[in-house]
Amino acid sequence: MEGLAAPPPGGALRLGERSFGPRQRVIMAIVNRTPDSFYDRGATWHEAAAMERVHAVVAEGADIVDIGGVAAAPGAQVDIAEEIRRTVPFVAAVRDAYPDLVISADTWRHEVAREVCAAGADLLNDTWGGWDRRLAGVAAEHGAGLVCAHAGGLAPRTRPFRVAYDDVLADVLHRTLAQASRAARIGVDPSRILIDPAHDFGKNTWHSLEVTRRLDEMVATGWPVLVSLSNKDFIGETLGVPPEGRLTGTLAATAICAWQGARVFRVHQVTETREVLATVSAIRGEVPPARAVRGLA
Amino acid sequence: MIIAAALCPSPPLLVRELTGADPVVADLRDACAAAVAALVAARPDVIVVVGPGPDTTEWPADGRLNIAAFGGRPAPPAGGAPLPKPVPLAVGLGGYLLDQAAYTGPRRLHSVSEDDQPADCLRLGKEIGDTAGRIGLLVMADGSARRGLRAPGHYDERAEAFDAGVERALRAGDLRRLAAIDPVLARELLATGRPAWQVLAGATRGTKLRKDVMYTGDPFGVMYVVRFFYVLSELRDPLIPG
Repeated sequence: MEGLAAPPPGGALRLGERSFGPRQRVIMAIVNRTPDSFYDRGATWHEAAAMERVHAVVAEGADIVDIGGVAAAPGAQVDIAEEIRRTVPFVAAVRDAYPDLVISADTWRHEVAREVCAAGADLLNDTWGGWDRRLAGVAAEHGAGLVCAHAGGLAPRTRPFRVAYDDVLADVLHRTLAQASRAARIGVDPSRILIDPAHDFGKNTWHSLEVTRRLDEMVATGWPVLVSLSNKDFIGETLGVPPEGRLTGTLAATAICAWQGARVFRVHQVTETREVLATVSAIRGEVPPARAVRGLA
Repeated sequence: MIIAAALCPSPPLLVRELTGADPVVADLRDACAAAVAALVAARPDVIVVVGPGPDTTEWPADGRLNIAAFGGRPAPPAGGAPLPKPVPLAVGLGGYLLDQAAYTGPRRLHSVSEDDQPADCLRLGKEIGDTAGRIGLLVMADGSARRGLRAPGHYDERAEAFDAGVERALRAGDLRRLAAIDPVLARELLATGRPAWQVLAGATRGTKLRKDVMYTGDPFGVMYVVRFFYVLSELRDPLIPG
């Protein structure tokens, strides 16, 4: 077993042509090319609607769009050819429309990754935790970034069934750091690697809450941390609300993660997230208020 | 000699604190408590807990479920003693039910591997049943976890018929039929209880049973059944004195 690779000094994060400083909080907007994702339920299944969504999230201030062709939950089979059909032409179209926008592809399959990178994707969001061992090699080949996530060893599109951890955060660190190190070793630019605890993937609600509570331990590794909290079931179970009622809980969790140092936020609601992140940045004294005159005149 | 057996499922949510403010499955917990209470009331010399686990092995009798692994808080050890060794989920939940029933008599904790063939499981059951003294058996076993679109293992159209077959055997008290469950199909259907059912079949072979139906349901896409079996007689022998 080789030692763990070190994250890049100074907390640099580079995605596509863009560079993000350690105190910059970055918004990744979800754009699903799926008929069956849990939250949007096919709202952007058709290409025109998906492109409208891209225009909207860019206008709202998203730095990254994350384009996915397969719902995370179990459901109708989507084979490689179909996933490519759903995502690759769309990535190319977004690249044409926005030459500088960071484009992320949400896929676990290296065959799909190769095609989306060729079409212009800058980042591979591997939510299923390195299930396909050849995915990182594709990121290296194409100079793309890689999200190293924790799914507890679960196969793609499976639900947690009685999962147990002696220490959930220790398992998250073990698996994500091993993936990040391996990716760096095989040639992925370390300044393009992120780690993600992947809330609810291979975790029950208690596990996701604990990961949120202890996110600073991931941040302390020095690797940039991405969190994907948006409207997830752990928020739903915490508040006892259906997907459409989870925004407030999502934003609370967002603030907690931002406060602890998460850098990238994968979201459905860009405007609301941007306001939460701006508030956290101001509270931390990292960014001044937009305008301060009250009591100062 | 087996005098009685209780059959309960082994979802972590049997532990009250793991479902949060909402008890969620109060009826299931009550049914399990009733089955275990009946087992304790049969006054066994020892209660043997059997549940699926990674290996077929016996665990220390003071082994307990590690509730913290599922997100709960570990119970403070009595008298400052070190925390007992964690045991597999199903076995640990059996012990938890005994603790909930305030059972303090002798207990043995046994896991049985998903990889064990039916004949192995039947043999283990027979060995447990042939032990001297009055044996109470607490079997922790679940049906398919693929009974719906929201089920942990999603939907498999074979799940309903599979579970119905098990349910019929349990309802009829004809536990020999459990011996015929196909391990490959059970695995495909995420029916984790298969080896434990077959231990139950082996342990009760050649007995006449009174059976009490306490719970049948699948509120989350996993089949839960709770039963109590009282051994009326060994078929070779006259009535066993109570």
